[in-house]
Amino acid sequence: MAIIVDKNTATIVQGVTGTNAALHTKFMLKYGTKIVGGVTPGKGGQHVEDVPVYDTVRDCIDENPEATVTSIWVPPRFAKDAILEAIDTGMKSIVVITERIPIHDMLYARQAAKERGVMIIGGNTPGVISPGKALIGMLPKIAFQSGRIGTVARSGAVTYYIANSLNLAGLGESTSVGLGGDPILGTNFEDVLRLFEKDSETDAVVMAGEIGGVYEELAAPYIGEMSKPVVAYITGKAAPQGKRLGHAGAIVEGNMGTAASKIKALKDNGALIAETLSEIPVLLKEALGSVIG
Amino acid sequence: MRLYEYEAKRVFARYGLPVLPGVVIDSQGYQQLDKVTYPVVIKGQAFVGGRGKSGLVQFANSRDEAQEKIASVLGKCHGGHAIERVLVEPRVNIERELYLSVIVDRLQHRFLLMTSRRGGVDIEEVASSEPEELLKYHLNIGADMHAFMARKTASGLGLSGPLLNAGTAVILGLYRLFVGYDCKVAEINPLAVTDDGRLLVLDAKVDLDEDAMFRHPVLKDMGITARHEVGELTDREKVAKKAGIPYVDLDGDIGVFPGGAGFGIAAIDLIQHYGGKPANFMDSGGAPTQEKLRAMLGLLLDNPRVKAIFGARFGGISRCDDWAKAVVQYVVENKPLKPMVMRMAGNMEEQGRKIIEQAKNEHPELFRKIKVYAYDMPIEEVIKETIRAAKAEK
Repeated sequence: MAIIVDKNTATIVQGVTGTNAALHTKFMLKYGTKIVGGVTPGKGGQHVEDVPVYDTVRDCIDENPEATVTSIWVPPRFAKDAILEAIDTGMKSIVVITERIPIHDMLYARQAAKERGVMIIGGNTPGVISPGKALIGMLPKIAFQSGRIGTVARSGAVTYYIANSLNLAGLGESTSVGLGGDPILGTNFEDVLRLFEKDSETDAVVMAGEIGGVYEELAAPYIGEMSKPVVAYITGKAAPQGKRLGHAGAIVEGNMGTAASKIKALKDNGALIAETLSEIPVLLKEALGSVIG
Repeated sequence: MRLYEYEAKRVFARYGLPVLPGVVIDSQGYQQLDKVTYPVVIKGQAFVGGRGKSGLVQFANSRDEAQEKIASVLGKCHGGHAIERVLVEPRVNIERELYLSVIVDRLQHRFLLMTSRRGGVDIEEVASSEPEELLKYHLNIGADMHAFMARKTASGLGLSGPLLNAGTAVILGLYRLFVGYDCKVAEINPLAVTDDGRLLVLDAKVDLDEDAMFRHPVLKDMGITARHEVGELTDREKVAKKAGIPYVDLDGDIGVFPGGAGFGIAAIDLIQHYGGKPANFMDSGGAPTQEKLRAMLGLLLDNPRVKAIFGARFGGISRCDDWAKAVVQYVVENKPLKPMVMRMAGNMEEQGRKIIEQAKNEHPELFRKIKVYAYDMPIEEVIKETIRAAKAEK
């Protein structure tokens, strides 16, 4: 079992008729992801890459009751409604590709998901991939190969570069999860670390964080409890203080959320700290060697 | 997105919160001073606190005095910004100062109402030195605040008699404004009780969610639009902002042409780690248009400080073919001669590779110093080569 998505996971695509969603629906299908339907209100009856389009998630589920995971590609102003619709129809995991969702909307959707025990990944996530099995989102398949390392990162491209660096060193991924770059996230590092700790196909975990927010610090105590090695790669050490770098997730304010505070918290709880991307596989091999040997 | 005090107070007034009738004066003239009653308080409008200590808050007893004091405040620099406006309000006699705010609590993912009897001072100081004086009430997202709840809170602030109802209305108004305008922060500090028994919002702070501005056209009608808050922008940062590109000038010589913000931050770290100096931070956002990508390149190639460019495209939602087209078109039109060391991998890579190869064949002289590596080249080797190229250019 990989985490979140596996070969047999039946998925749907909300906002499937949009340009990006349609293109990536094609890529997901090619990768082997089981997509049973798409949803775009008003476009029911059409098809995208042979995937039937429905007006509502309910219509889609009535005909495809096996679906448990959805991905959301709708414009930000419709994201809250799309997530609530998915929760209402009983989806177990919701992968939110949409970026820049209003904060209050995401807080509301997150609260509704927690009440129903539903997992939201994102917003602004590149998605989730279990290499060789299934892909949900827009992660480029070339970056990943099947293996026994779980990865979880805030940024999309950093997710790709980490997998790339593992693969060039002969390692591969059990599942790679993009947490997302929006300020409010449905799922944080600790949630994903817990899944990897329980996953029989994962031997070690790489987590990549960045300046801003406190999700890395919050995950640190749990790393201390884990039996599997965790390599942490934290970016933003060279970021200028007080400057806003790109997405709102990366704002440095006082001592909160600096690269130094994250690295200290993680290190104090036993995470191995990688300074560069190429150090990640080196540290993993050392840690796994010591477990095996 | 933070608002100036005068903007925040206009928003507050829409929700019936008790703000003073003030006037805003800029370098255009002092006519408005006829409309206020003296004595007055003059407050320079800035995002950064500590205005009192910087001489941005002044008192005046007459129009002449006010004019003179305003002239001394306008143009002062505070927190990297020149003061362009002052807010002039009637001066009141304060008996007590209270504190009130609603914020997004990112740890608990709920709204948080905070109150204190110790208003008028730095609330973070109160929180650390007298934590029992800062009361916190968490609220579920989407829950309405009822009057009885606000009344209880107002009573906890020591408000009684007619002030109890006034305080209840202020708390309800502040919470509804916070929800109504998608705020990250809505704060009153101080909320003053005056010697003539009034409750007044003396200073107001509002931080809005830029990503929710689309549903508040009324703010735009009030002249409240996106702005830059932290320090002054360099000329290049201003150009970038106009083009919708998050961009920050740094003082190195390696131009960074990354994908999204996450890798942009990582790239700066890696360049420094290998002994280079980045000239900028930049963020393409997800799925940038070719036009945006060309504008990004222009920012770097027009910068005389930049000796070499490091470029990276790992195509996820952003496509390699779009990226390649933008690079080729920029190079062919602008004929830059700076070395560019780049790597392209991911979605639509094959199509992107064809575009680059074809351009190379057609314009070998223009692409002499331009390299575009593929998936099998570790990104850190690309960075090291860029650093070497920058050194060779000196």
